[in-house]
Amino acid sequence: MLKRLSNRSFHALLAVGLALAMVASASIGDFVFPLREMARFIGQAFHLIPLTTADTLDRNVFLQLRLPRVLLGTVTGAVLGVSGTLMQGLFRNPIVEPGLVGTSAGAALGAALVFVLGGKATLAFTAPLGSAAVPVFAFAGGFAATVLVYRVSRSFGKVNVFTLLLAGIAVNAVSSAGTGFLSYIARDPQARNITFWNLGTFTTADWRGAVIVTVTFAICYLLSVRYGKALNALMLGEDEATYTGLDPARFIWPLLVVNTLMVAMATAMVGVIAFIGLVVPHVLRLLKSSDYTFLIPGSALLGAMLMEIIDVVARLVIAPAELPIGIITAVVGAPVFLGILIRQQRRGGGAFYG
Amino acid sequence: MVELHDVSFTAGATPILHHVDAQFAPGRFNVILGPNGAGKSTLLKVATGTLKPSTGTVRYDNADAASWPPDVLARRRAVLSQHMELPFPLAVEDVVLMGRYPHYARTPARRDRDIVNQALELVGMADRRQQIYSTLSGGERQKTHLARVLAQIWAGDDASGPRYLFLDEPTASLDIHYQIHLLDVARGLLADGCTVVAVLHDLNIALRYGDTFVVLSGGTVACATDRRDAVSRELLEGVFRVRAHQIVDPIAGRTLWEFSL
Repeated sequence: MLKRLSNRSFHALLAVGLALAMVASASIGDFVFPLREMARFIGQAFHLIPLTTADTLDRNVFLQLRLPRVLLGTVTGAVLGVSGTLMQGLFRNPIVEPGLVGTSAGAALGAALVFVLGGKATLAFTAPLGSAAVPVFAFAGGFAATVLVYRVSRSFGKVNVFTLLLAGIAVNAVSSAGTGFLSYIARDPQARNITFWNLGTFTTADWRGAVIVTVTFAICYLLSVRYGKALNALMLGEDEATYTGLDPARFIWPLLVVNTLMVAMATAMVGVIAFIGLVVPHVLRLLKSSDYTFLIPGSALLGAMLMEIIDVVARLVIAPAELPIGIITAVVGAPVFLGILIRQQRRGGGAFYG
Repeated sequence: MVELHDVSFTAGATPILHHVDAQFAPGRFNVILGPNGAGKSTLLKVATGTLKPSTGTVRYDNADAASWPPDVLARRRAVLSQHMELPFPLAVEDVVLMGRYPHYARTPARRDRDIVNQALELVGMADRRQQIYSTLSGGERQKTHLARVLAQIWAGDDASGPRYLFLDEPTASLDIHYQIHLLDVARGLLADGCTVVAVLHDLNIALRYGDTFVVLSGGTVACATDRRDAVSRELLEGVFRVRAHQIVDPIAGRTLWEFSL
């Protein structure tokens, strides 16, 4: 039934789902804000409604904590969804996501370097970067890992699945060993930082971080959404893509850079969140189509929607405390993904997609 | 007209083509023949503009092919290779639409959709347009790609002017029905002046469909001719390392070759 929908209607449906999830996420939590109250706070924030002193605390919690968190979560979900789609397209492989290829682990290592050694003489040259040091190092780490795996796994214009897996495992192992070493030598607050960060969390969300990630995503999305056709043509192989006038040499590197940039920026803010990048494109492929002109916008919307739902769950499960996001995405994402695989295996007689 | 003048190609230190001259005429079915490793696929890649020759020039109707932007070239020149796997499920019509990619920026126009439908009609796949590519048989997959390359250089399109279709062993692993169908469709393009260039392996099929012949051997041209009878017994025996003898088809009166070691 969903397959019959046009791309536009499908995207509209996802957008409605996302809007509902965002409203729910803004409303539910330690503090519960009814719709009417949320509307009033937003009105007051824009000075459309006169301020009242009685609800200052509620208003501040909503405007300074809850809303930036909703924005950060939404955009992070979109980043991970789009990134999974782009990477599966670039590697021409259904198992690729930022976690597998080492983008996230490399970015995590880069960020951990700054957390632990940031104040020390060894990284004194990062001082002029100020608070931008974390994203910059995260980008450098993520990019190095991605490029290494891509170069190793690609030969003669094709990506070899086994080499890809092995290279991904190796790069992940080295990166986590590095991060592990850093947390071992770190003093307590830094080590806690790294642990939290490895599981992903939105608890530290503020407007500054949310806006940085949002702007980065907006730019990267606008750059990458133009490559839907190119990624489709790449499914045929690099030579065939060239024959249709889309030269992979011209779009593979820009896409790798754009992809790593937005993942590193999101990872620098919220830490490593697994499975969203893997599951989102697959759900869309199964529900409708593997056409990248559909998948890129679709995975932004679905990734954002899922992330908001998961964030609400994270706040409710052990309230008033909350779970790290990465735990929930792995606990929920992995079985869902296995379920999809098993269903496909049964239906399709062994092929990944029947 | 596609003209290769004094083309050599070296991969690393290995020379693959030496001083190859070849002309592929418009409105003719130009066949490249030769044993495995003779450099046929490399020659085709150089002729399509995918590989840059180490020395020599490739000209498309007197324009240097290397000077054309990739999308301009793609509106006039399409290439069909051996059948391909797709890593993800796509509907047949989405695969054929890829042929229209050089013709539109973001969303396909009504005209692009029409051409996709006509191309599917032409190859007899119109009733399969919604089917997932990976569920097709090898022959149907190749028909899908044939429709794709036809859509890419569709006649009377915005890029009116010369069109070039290259076929790289298009019939490998197809059964005889699909072989004949594919080559008949390709011959159908000759009437409106398309230049068709095909690398073929089956010598009898090649001689039946071809108008001009380039026989490659060890990276050089052993024979270039537009006469079927110039493809002689001595030539075939020397180049393919077989013994050949002629038989005559008693019904159509065509010459056929029979080979043994």
